[in-house]
Amino acid sequence: MNGGFVMRLRNLTTPGRLLGLALLIFLAAWPFLGATRFTLHVASLAFIWAVVASYWNLLSGYSGILSLGNLGFFAVGAYVSSVLAVELGISPWITIWIGATAAMLIVTTVLGLPALRLRGIYISLLTLAFELALPSIITLLGDWTGGGIGLLGIPTFLDDIQRWQAYYLTFAFAVVALFVLYRIINGRTGMAFVALRDAEDFAGAIGVDRYREGIKVFAISSFVTGMAGGFFAHTLGSISPGMLSIDQFLMVIAMYMLGGVGTFFGPIIGALVITFGNEYLRVAGSLRLGLIGVLIVLTVMAFPGGIMQLIERVRDLVRVRFKQLKGASDVA
Amino acid sequence: MNEFFAALWSGLMIGSLYAIMAIGLTVIYGVSRVFNFAHGHVALIAGYLAWLVAFELGASYIPGILVALAVMVPLGWATYQWGVRPLMRRKEADFATLLLTLGLAIIVQFALLEIFGPRVKALPEFFSGSVNLWFGPISYHELSLVVISVAIMAGIWAFMTRTSLGRAMRGVASSVHGARIVGIDTNRVYGLTFALAFVLTGVSGVLLGTHSYMTPAIGWDWMIKGFIIVVFGGLGSIPGAILAAFTLGVIETMVTLYAGSLWIWPAWLAVFVLVLTLRPQGILGGRTA
Repeated sequence: MNGGFVMRLRNLTTPGRLLGLALLIFLAAWPFLGATRFTLHVASLAFIWAVVASYWNLLSGYSGILSLGNLGFFAVGAYVSSVLAVELGISPWITIWIGATAAMLIVTTVLGLPALRLRGIYISLLTLAFELALPSIITLLGDWTGGGIGLLGIPTFLDDIQRWQAYYLTFAFAVVALFVLYRIINGRTGMAFVALRDAEDFAGAIGVDRYREGIKVFAISSFVTGMAGGFFAHTLGSISPGMLSIDQFLMVIAMYMLGGVGTFFGPIIGALVITFGNEYLRVAGSLRLGLIGVLIVLTVMAFPGGIMQLIERVRDLVRVRFKQLKGASDVA
Repeated sequence: MNEFFAALWSGLMIGSLYAIMAIGLTVIYGVSRVFNFAHGHVALIAGYLAWLVAFELGASYIPGILVALAVMVPLGWATYQWGVRPLMRRKEADFATLLLTLGLAIIVQFALLEIFGPRVKALPEFFSGSVNLWFGPISYHELSLVVISVAIMAGIWAFMTRTSLGRAMRGVASSVHGARIVGIDTNRVYGLTFALAFVLTGVSGVLLGTHSYMTPAIGWDWMIKGFIIVVFGGLGSIPGAILAAFTLGVIETMVTLYAGSLWIWPAWLAVFVLVLTLRPQGILGGRTA
């Protein structure tokens, strides 16, 4: 840490960080650069999905907790927040916190505590069963949730919310949520999982408790995903059990798969690519479902590192080429 | 009271169908430690194929079913050799095979949707007519489903304990290295395990198709139910899966009778959470993974 100002500046200006900064500036300025209402709308969806995919990746990619129910966490957050705002007239600024807390408590106690003691696919199937049970539960609670038709006229963050306002709200949410995620991954919890993955016995010996760390990331992930659900509901103004459809579920999985499992930027890139791709492929209709399946299978079979791996390869190629050029000029 | 006995019968009957579905799942998992998320969709392929060959192409019922089951053999073999096998060497093999089978499931769902359309399809019953018992009629068709299921369970049991291939499968299940040392070609055994399990799954798909209905998306429900049964019975344990299938079949029909069909999924989820909390190794499972 005492490397002095120049060292610190150099640490701040790694290519990855510069790229991230450039992307941030571009996204912040985008509404002024001639984006249409439609692209702004799609972009705000992409921000929400980037958060969901990134926190899903925190569970599956970093922590080895193969959850399949994150859309369920999303739906719990969205519904609790919306129902409170509609029935009790509480401001959405408050209800999103209650929704996120509810998602965290329900998910962690019902799913996390029983399943995290076990490894591997138990948690996958318990969370998937939870997600499949949710539409019935939503229908059973139809008096508040609107049942199968869904909930319309949910109060939005601002009265008569405009697209650019929704854009900046979701953008700010994504930036904060992803910054927190970055700190988690590079902090004690992230390190604990690296240790558990690479040297389990050693990790145990220095006092890393898989169960406790698992509960921790499970709680964090469900909280933030639930809040993303709240942002979804209170910027769009309507939700329905359709948000739990298998297409949507696979779409989010495809996001972090395609972007790069277990990388920080992968799910973000994946979310942008897939959300925009999906909107522009609406003409393709049901073909999209097949495309997502093919995409997932191809990625896992041939390119398990996703887009991030591709970027790394290109960077390595460029570096090698650069060195060769440099070597040649040195000789000359 | 008659209602109760009717529901009990129908629970046992549907339990026998779930048992076949769960055995296919537990055979693959028990031997290869791969969990097949496309399990329900594999069953759907067989159901739709039987329907296609028997009723669209005009062959009769039995050839239709036989063709469907015959297709399952190369399908299972290929799924292992081309799909699962390259992934099993990876460090995060669990996650990779999960994603692979998930992707395959959605491809199957898409293909079924394109070929057969979204409308509900059902296979016709094997037999018509019914016999009257003290609580009401039992159709010959339902009776035949139970007989077929029990016969298959007995057949699987005999295969696993009496034939050399069945013993090889159990050997690989208990120790891959041990099996290799005594000269078992593990990749062949894995491939054949997938083929066998796919055939069983195909049978369950056809039987479920005659009893309830098929849509391209119902594979997820079948797979999850099969899985909860397998966990309840103990992962990898065939007798456990059978016992659990009957128990959950009865629970399902009782819940439907006394609370309504909307409670089916919450009830399955509740059973799942309870089992994982109280006895994660399942009723007949030895140890957990």
